[in-house]
Amino acid sequence: MTAATSNAPSREEQVKALQKREARRRRLPLLPALIFTILITQIPFVMSLYYSFTDWTVTPPSPRTWTGISNYTDAFTNSFFREAAVTSIVMTVSSVLLSVILGTGVALLLDRKFFGQGFVRTLIITPFLVMPVVAGLVWKNQMFSAAFGVINWLLEAVGLEAVEFASKYPRWSIVAVLVWQWTPFMMLIILAGLQGQPASVLEAAKVDGATPRATFFQITLPHLRPYLELGVLLGSIYLIQVFDHIVVMTGGGPGSTNVPYFVNQRSIGGGWRFGSASAFSILVVIATIFIATFGLRVLSGLLEGEEP
Amino acid sequence: MAEVKFDAASRIYPGTEEPAVNKLNLDIGDGELLVLVGPSGSGKSTALRMLAGLEFVNDGSIFINDKDVTLAPPQDRDIAMVFQNYALYPQMTVASNMAFALKQQGVSKEDRMARVKEAAKILDLEPFLDRKPKNLSGGQRQRVAMGRAIVREPQVFLMDEPLSNLDAKLRVQTRTELADLQARLGVTTVYVTHDQVEAMTMGHRVAVLNFGVLQQVDAPRTLYSAPANKFVAGFIGSPAMNLLAASDVGGRAGIGGVQVPLSDAVAAAAGAHPARELTVGVRPEHLQLGSEGIPGEAIVVEELGSESFVHVRIDHLGESTTIVVRDEGETDVRRGDNVSVGFNGPVHLFGPDDQRISG
Repeated sequence: MTAATSNAPSREEQVKALQKREARRRRLPLLPALIFTILITQIPFVMSLYYSFTDWTVTPPSPRTWTGISNYTDAFTNSFFREAAVTSIVMTVSSVLLSVILGTGVALLLDRKFFGQGFVRTLIITPFLVMPVVAGLVWKNQMFSAAFGVINWLLEAVGLEAVEFASKYPRWSIVAVLVWQWTPFMMLIILAGLQGQPASVLEAAKVDGATPRATFFQITLPHLRPYLELGVLLGSIYLIQVFDHIVVMTGGGPGSTNVPYFVNQRSIGGGWRFGSASAFSILVVIATIFIATFGLRVLSGLLEGEEP
Repeated sequence: MAEVKFDAASRIYPGTEEPAVNKLNLDIGDGELLVLVGPSGSGKSTALRMLAGLEFVNDGSIFINDKDVTLAPPQDRDIAMVFQNYALYPQMTVASNMAFALKQQGVSKEDRMARVKEAAKILDLEPFLDRKPKNLSGGQRQRVAMGRAIVREPQVFLMDEPLSNLDAKLRVQTRTELADLQARLGVTTVYVTHDQVEAMTMGHRVAVLNFGVLQQVDAPRTLYSAPANKFVAGFIGSPAMNLLAASDVGGRAGIGGVQVPLSDAVAAAAGAHPARELTVGVRPEHLQLGSEGIPGEAIVVEELGSESFVHVRIDHLGESTTIVVRDEGETDVRRGDNVSVGFNGPVHLFGPDDQRISG
């Protein structure tokens, strides 16, 4: 009504303009980081998306020609890729599950008060801080090695024969190192969950006559569900990309070539077939996006808060 | 049903010297609602948790029905507890919350649901049985916590400030419902609160604690009319009792140059101490503004509608002190008025040891 009688902006328009300005001010500081991120992640991604539809090989140099989806259809008929995919799945699932179970156990122990609690917690976290390459080397040479590994020294001490773990059980040797590195991470997430559980709920269970076992399975574990899901999600996203450990421990020895390592072999690792390698890595990205979408839902559920 | 007895029970937290609860002696009768009240840190919650088995008893004993439960774990005591934050199991429905204890006892599913339905009926929770606690209002959660306790049909109810998370209006309403429910069920109840109004309105008897020491346990009326010591006198009653070091007026206790009225028996008992060592206590409702008495100046007038409280600055022992006087509603007194404060009811006298002097 006022707009009809004068040309001055109505109150509604003024408020809208103010809100717009506010929104701009909030976004502006993010802009440099956003541009930088787009430059270093999205452009290479789009490039490899393009390469994945070509038959580009570097040696011998050949013209890049468009081949459509043939790289993708190759992926499903290529038995090496299928093997690598199975290895990826087995390695990721087993190391995530084992580290979640162990991490929950350690978290339950660390949730009690005892002298030196903070010190012990820091010690337990350290494996997660070790560089993957270093972790691989340490385990390969100092733990698994038949000649001077600690495990074999123990085996020989009880009269058993030494085993060259990394070459005899390449896949499970790598899983062992991954579990060693990722248990602390899972432990941290679960511990946060345990500490978010009100003490009075546990006391109520005690008064209600629940045994410690019943309390854990009927009350604590359901409470930890979102934390467990978060741990599984983040663990899966990272562990599906494992590469360093394989390079230094087995060099892709039998049963330990996963998809990232396979992609490497195809491209800069000597195959120089960037076209098909790009297609494989795009497939991994798609798989990861699936997991991440599922995971984001979990995360938002966690942020909504479940405690009354 | 059940009687509860604290026999010189003490709790000393690890790493502290002072006991949180110091040699507590209490006898709670069958079907009684006993309120433990005190300021924060008085040990009232600790005493309750000792009875629940959630705190160790360092010294003394606790009996439920003449059975020594001092060292028994909570599940062997046949008690049910309502926590301040309700402590509902967040991932369970209301029905599962209420049935949890029965499930642990191995009660069959049909019996469990029957008893849950029965309790839900008493508490008007029937429409909410399938909801999760986070989808309930504060008052509904409180009722679920109550339901969880009722379903078990325990020997004793323990309630740790069950109303303090409700808003003021709901608290008053729930207070009445709770008292009524307890009377109907006839279950011995120990109720902890820091709110003296709650204690006075709900308790059959009220135990006042301070620094872990039991100050007095009596019917609410006795606490009000004959507080055992200075602490109880100041804690019970709202607004609080005026407590002043007595001045010596002609060899007897006085305030601001005016002798306080005392019965002969009390005056005789007080005679053992010099007047300057005594403390005078008088409630605002036992003072009145009039034409004669202690001269002073009104500095704050609090109008509550049905009554008003006038803060009067008086000259006492050479210093200016404020005392609170109850006046009728719609009082004419204004800030700055010169008034006189007279006596209109009992005056309490406390000796140098802070204990009540009675005739």
